[in-house]
Amino acid sequence: MSERDVSPPGLPFSIKPKFIVTVVIIVVVIAVVMSSFFVVDQTEQAVVLRFGKVNRIVGPGLQFKVPLGIEKNYNVATQRVQKMEFGFRTQQAGINTAYSGADFPEESIMLTGDLNIIDVEWIIQYRISEPVDWLFNVEFREQTLRDISQSIINQLVGDRAILNVIGSERTSIEQQGQDKMQERFDDYGLGVTVTTVKLRNIVPPRGEVQDAFEDVNRAVQDMNRFINEGKEAYNQEIPKARGQAQQLIQEAQGYAAERVNNSEGDVARFVSVLDQYELSPEVTRTRLYIETLEALFQQKEGTELIDRGLENFIPFKGLPTAQGGTQ
Amino acid sequence: MKKLVTTLVVLLIIVVIFVLLGPFYIVEQGEQAVVTRFGKIVTTNTEPGLKFKIPVIDNVVKYSKKILSWDGDAQRVPTAENQFIWVDATARWKIANPQKFYEAVSTLEQGWARLDDVIDSTIRTVITSNNLREAVRNTNIINELEATTEILQQQDEEVDEEELRELTQTEKSYETVNRGREELSQEMFKLAAELTPDYGIELVDIIIRQIRYSDDLTESVYSRMIKERNQIAEAYRSYGQGKKAEWLGKLENERKTILSEAYQESEGIRGEADAEATQIYASAYEQDPEFFEFWRSIESYRKTMPQFTKTITTDMDYFKYLYNEEGTAE
Repeated sequence: MSERDVSPPGLPFSIKPKFIVTVVIIVVVIAVVMSSFFVVDQTEQAVVLRFGKVNRIVGPGLQFKVPLGIEKNYNVATQRVQKMEFGFRTQQAGINTAYSGADFPEESIMLTGDLNIIDVEWIIQYRISEPVDWLFNVEFREQTLRDISQSIINQLVGDRAILNVIGSERTSIEQQGQDKMQERFDDYGLGVTVTTVKLRNIVPPRGEVQDAFEDVNRAVQDMNRFINEGKEAYNQEIPKARGQAQQLIQEAQGYAAERVNNSEGDVARFVSVLDQYELSPEVTRTRLYIETLEALFQQKEGTELIDRGLENFIPFKGLPTAQGGTQ
Repeated sequence: MKKLVTTLVVLLIIVVIFVLLGPFYIVEQGEQAVVTRFGKIVTTNTEPGLKFKIPVIDNVVKYSKKILSWDGDAQRVPTAENQFIWVDATARWKIANPQKFYEAVSTLEQGWARLDDVIDSTIRTVITSNNLREAVRNTNIINELEATTEILQQQDEEVDEEELRELTQTEKSYETVNRGREELSQEMFKLAAELTPDYGIELVDIIIRQIRYSDDLTESVYSRMIKERNQIAEAYRSYGQGKKAEWLGKLENERKTILSEAYQESEGIRGEADAEATQIYASAYEQDPEFFEFWRSIESYRKTMPQFTKTITTDMDYFKYLYNEEGTAE
C-alpha cells in the first residue's frame, strides 16, 4: 500500500492528506485487532491480567484480550512435566542420552550422618499446578526450586549412615524428599506439584575412596569364593570317602560270607566223611591216606624217590630245599 | 487539509507524552509501588490495579511483592569442636514494608547486601556454638535404621549374618543430636529475623543448602573412609578364608571319621565271620578230634606238598608193599 505513497524522486506528486489519514487509521485498527488475540498452546494455560489484576484464566486455543495494554496475558505451561537435574546435566537427551562430563560438587557432595562424604545425583519432576501462584508468589522460581530441593536432599542424606543412603534408605529418601519439598513449596505458594523425586547415582567420592568401596564388594565376592572353594574341596572328598567306606564294609561282608560259607562247606564235607568213617574207620583211614598220597605223587616232575636202605644219604641239592624234602 | 494532518500529529504527540508521563500507572499482581513526590513518600500501593499519580511530579518506584531469594556464598565456619566446614545457606525474604525498604535500602541489590551482613553473621554464630553433628543431622533416625552391610544383597546360607555384622559394623550407635539441622536453621532464622524489619524486610526462612568439609578436612575424611572400607574388606576376606578352613577341617574330620568307622565296622564283620567259622569248625571237629587231625593233615598235605621240591624215601607206609606183599619191613 505504501508503495503508492512514495513518489519517485524528481517527480512532483501531491499526496492527499485524506489518504494518509485513512492509512494511519487502517494501520492502527489492524494493530489493535492483532494485539487483541493471542494463542494458548495445548500444554498451557494463560493468566489474563486487567490493569495488573488477575482477571481470568483461559485454556488452549485462540483467545481474546482487551488491547492497548489494558489486558495482559501470561502463558504458563501447566500440562508439561518439567525436570530439574542435580549433580549432573543432560547434554542431549535421546536414545543414547549424553551426559555432560562436568561435575557439580557444589550440588552433589554431601555429608552423611556418620560424617562420611558421598556424591548424590538426583532429579525432580514437577508440574505447575496453580498458574496464578506460580506467576505472582515467588520471584526467583527456578532458583527456589533448586535451593529447596538441594537443602532437603542434603538434610535427608545428612540424617542417615552412608551405607543406608547407598542401599536401603534410597526409596525412603525419595519419598520423604518429595513430601518435604511439596510441603515447602506449598508454604511459599509456589503453585507447583512435585511429581517425582528420583535419586540417580549415589556413589562415594571418585578415586581412591570409590575404589575402597568397590574393594569391599570384591571382598564379599572373595569371601564367597573362599567359602565355595572350601565346599568344593569338601564335596570333592566326602562323597568319595562315603563310597570308600561302603567299599570297606561290603568287602568285609563278602569276606564274612565267604568265610562262613567255606567253613560250612568244609565242615559239611568233613561231617559226611566222618559219618562214613565211623562205619568202618580202619579201611576208610587207609583209603584216604593212600588216595591222598596218590594224588600227590601224580605230579609229573620234581619228586625223587630214594630207597630206604640207602644210609647216610646227603641231599646233593642246595641246603635250603633239603629239609622240606626229607621225611 | 494540511491543517488536519498537523492537528493529528500534534494530538498524537500529546497523547504519547500523556501516556508516558501520564497520571496512570499499573501495579501488577505481585508488585508494589512507592510513590514519591519531590523525594518525599506520599503513598504506597500494595494492591494491583490501575493507579493514578500526578504526572511529572510524582515518581513511582516498583518493588516485587513476591518471595525473593537470597543466596550467599558458602562460608568456612568452625563448629563447636573446631572442625572447619563449608556452610552454604539460602534464605527467602519479602519486602514487607515498601516504605521502610525504600528509605533504608532502596534497591534489591542493596537489600541482598544487607542480608549478606545479617545472615552470614547469624550462620557463623549458630554453627560455631554447635557441634558438627547438630548441623549435619536433623534427627536421630540414624540410630533407628538397621545398618546396611554389603552382605545383605548377596548372601549365602553359609554366611552368618550376625557375625559379619559384628565384624564389619564400624559404629553401632551414633551420638544423639539434641537440636538438629532444622532447629539450627530456625535459630538462624530467629536471630536474623529480629534485625531485618529495620530494612522493611521480612525473612521467610533460612535453610542450610549444603554442608561440606573444608578441603584439608576432606582429605583426612577420605583417608578415614578408605581405611574403614579396607578394614571391612579384610574382614570379609578373612571371614571367607576362615570359612574355607572350616570346610577343609570338616573335610578332614569327616573323611577320617567315615573311613575309620567303615574300617571298624568291616573288621567287626570279619571278626564275627571268623568267630562263626571257628565255631562251625570246632563244633564239627569236636565229634572226632583224632579223625579230624588225620583228615586235616592229609588235606593240608594235598595243598602244600606240591610246592616242595621233594626227595622221598621209600620208608613210607605208602611204599611198604614195594618190598613184599605182606607190607612188612625187611
